Parts: sequence; structure tokens; C-alpha cells
Amino acid sequence: MKVRFWGVRGSVSVAEQGSMRYGGNTSCVSVELAGGGRLVLDAGTGIRTLGATIDPTAAPIHIMLTHLHLDHISGLLFFAPLFHPDADVTIWGPPGVGGLRERLARYLSAPLSPVEIRELPAKVTFRECTPEGWQVGAAKITATQVIHRGPTLGYRIEEENVALAYIPDHEPGLGQDLERDDARWISGHALACNASLLIHDGQYTESEYKMTVGWGHSLVADALTFAYRTEARRVALFHHDPGHDDAALDAIAEEAHATWRGDGELSLAREGEDIHLT
Amino acid sequence: MADTQQPLDLILARNLMSVLETPSFLVDDSGVLVFFNEAAGEMLGQRFEETGRLARDRWSAIGPVDGDGNALNAEPLTVALREGRPSHGQFHIYTDQNRIVEVETSAVPLVSGGDFHGALVLFWPVEP
Repeated sequence: MKVRFWGVRGSVSVAEQGSMRYGGNTSCVSVELAGGGRLVLDAGTGIRTLGATIDPTAAPIHIMLTHLHLDHISGLLFFAPLFHPDADVTIWGPPGVGGLRERLARYLSAPLSPVEIRELPAKVTFRECTPEGWQVGAAKITATQVIHRGPTLGYRIEEENVALAYIPDHEPGLGQDLERDDARWISGHALACNASLLIHDGQYTESEYKMTVGWGHSLVADALTFAYRTEARRVALFHHDPGHDDAALDAIAEEAHATWRGDGELSLAREGEDIHLT
Repeated sequence: MADTQQPLDLILARNLMSVLETPSFLVDDSGVLVFFNEAAGEMLGQRFEETGRLARDRWSAIGPVDGDGNALNAEPLTVALREGRPSHGQFHIYTDQNRIVEVETSAVPLVSGGDFHGALVLFWPVEP
């Protein structure tokens, strides 16, 4: 399984020179399955660059949205395969009031968009995720609701002996004792348990979190405790705050490494980074 | 994957209950008491950290009963579990010292994604 980060930023994209080492695009991660097939996790602005690199007709494309906040869907309109009449794209997302297509159409319609959702040339199918999961090729996909504002999913993708957990927007520490509570009561734990790679929200520092409790994002220390409890074998902190430039993220990484208790490798995700899971 | 995660509405209800000073119970769809908060623990004389989850037959010893200690069947939690609708009522329960106290109770069914996951039950002692 090959994982690539196309956008690692949270909330809104940034373009400042001093933030380019980690990257400025919002959430998008591609997954090339060992058995063939391509998954795209979220459709933030990073999906535009991804779209330019793939043959839209080579294989069906599965876009798996964790939720419908703008930083996770704003790239959809700029994803080239959606404008290719022979492309076959399935967009998966959380169940909610109103169908997924109708909820996405609030963004992909006037006056917010010059193109209506019905005008997309590709063959696009909209699917709401169900708790029992589904298969893409040999990969088993599981989607579970996690703590964030509004209906929000985390994903687990398992293929052969490899498991990727993707929980980019998540506040598992809200009202929870992450150190001691039973794992079944910790949001997202089952998704991330023993994952080969856990990609997880790590947006806020201690001082920022005092002002942002309940916004649906993790204090870095909580993300680390969550990751430690899951025994993930590798951890990539993700959804970097737009106010954190490269120097700030370096400092966060240094402090995170100093307090990390897990055995697995810990890093802050960077745009353009590839991770091969075997 | 590890054991299945509890439904998110139960997790969030538990998180809310853990900071409430109102005695409250959380019951899953099969009637198992999966959490009660500190205030409820004071009323019962037990702490959840000590008891853990309790099957219906273990925790139903507290009631509901009438003022004479006779068992009641149609209290709010039963309505919420059987009929999936909120219910409010007054009855009596046994406390830790085998005293009977009158309580006012609201039971709210927890439904998400079209599935029924349990009920949140809040208690208020009725002042004599």
C-alpha cells in the first residue's frame, strides 16, 4: 500500500513562503492499493494536484470524505477526473440529514460554484458509508463516526497485513480520560488499533487548545496519548493549523518527540511525502 | 481491529454525563447499564469504577418501586427502551442504605443513523 500526502493543512489553505516545507494545501491523501485500485481520502485543495497526475479512465476512483467541512471538499471542483466523461468516480461520505449528493450540492451549486453538481461530465456515484464496511478490490474499508462537529467519519483500510487509519479531524479527549478509559469508549480507537500507519489530527498546542476546546480538533498531547493507546506502529500528525508556519511545526515536532511514549515512528505529515506500507 | 467502538451517541452521552451534577444512567439497547455518573453513584452508594457495567437483573434491584416498595413496570426507562420515545415520570428507588426515596426521572432514547442505541436517564430527587 502506497500512501501520499497531497494536502496536510487544516481549516484553510496557506500560501506563505515560510509554510511550504510542510505544505499549504488542505486535507487530501491518496492510497494506491497493492492489489490495484486507488482511494482518495478527502478532497481538500490538495486533490487538485493529485488529479493532474492520474489517468482518469485507468480505474474507478473512490473518494472517501470524512465530513463535509469546506477544507475537506473545496478541491472537488478542481479535481480533473470529475470533468472527464469516461471517468468513474464514487464519492463516499458520512450519513446525515439529506442525501450525500444533496449536501454536497450546497457547495457545488450557484452562487458558490460556477458548475452545478449535475453538470459534472464524469460518471459520479454518491454513497453514504454504512457501519458494516465494504470492499475495494482486496481492501476492506471500515468507516466509523468519530468526535468532531457534525457527522464525521474516520476510515480504516486493511489490505493483506497492512492497515491504514485516517482520522484527520478528531477530538477524542473531549470529556474523556484518554489514559485510563476503556478503549471501547474512546472515539476512533477501534479504527486505529495496531494500525501500520495512523494519520491523526494534531492541530493545537496547549495554549491554543484553551480557546478551542470543543471545536473538534486535537491537542497534540491528546493525539499522542490516543496514538499510544492504539499501539499504532507509525503515526503521522496531520491537519496542521494554518497559523503554524514551518518553524512552529518544527517546534511542535520536537516537543512531540520529547514526550512520545510509543514504539512506533512519529512524524508530522508533509505535503508530497510518500509512505510505503508493507 | 480491536473490539468494536461503542456508538458515538453513547460515547458523547457518557462524556456529557461525566461532567453533570445531575444523577444519570446510560443504558444500552439491551438494557445493560453501561455507565452511571458520580452523582448517581452517590445516590446508589456505589462507584461506576468499582461496579463496571451491570446487567439489567443486577441493577434493577434499586427499583422502580412505589412508595410501599412494590415493583413498577412502566417507568420512563422501560418506555424509552421498549417504545423508543422519551418519557418522564415519578417513582421511588432504593438507595444505598435500603432507604426508599422518591425521584423524578426523564429517559431519552438515543437514536442515530436510524439505529436505536440505548437511553440516557436523568434523576432528580423529589424533596419531601
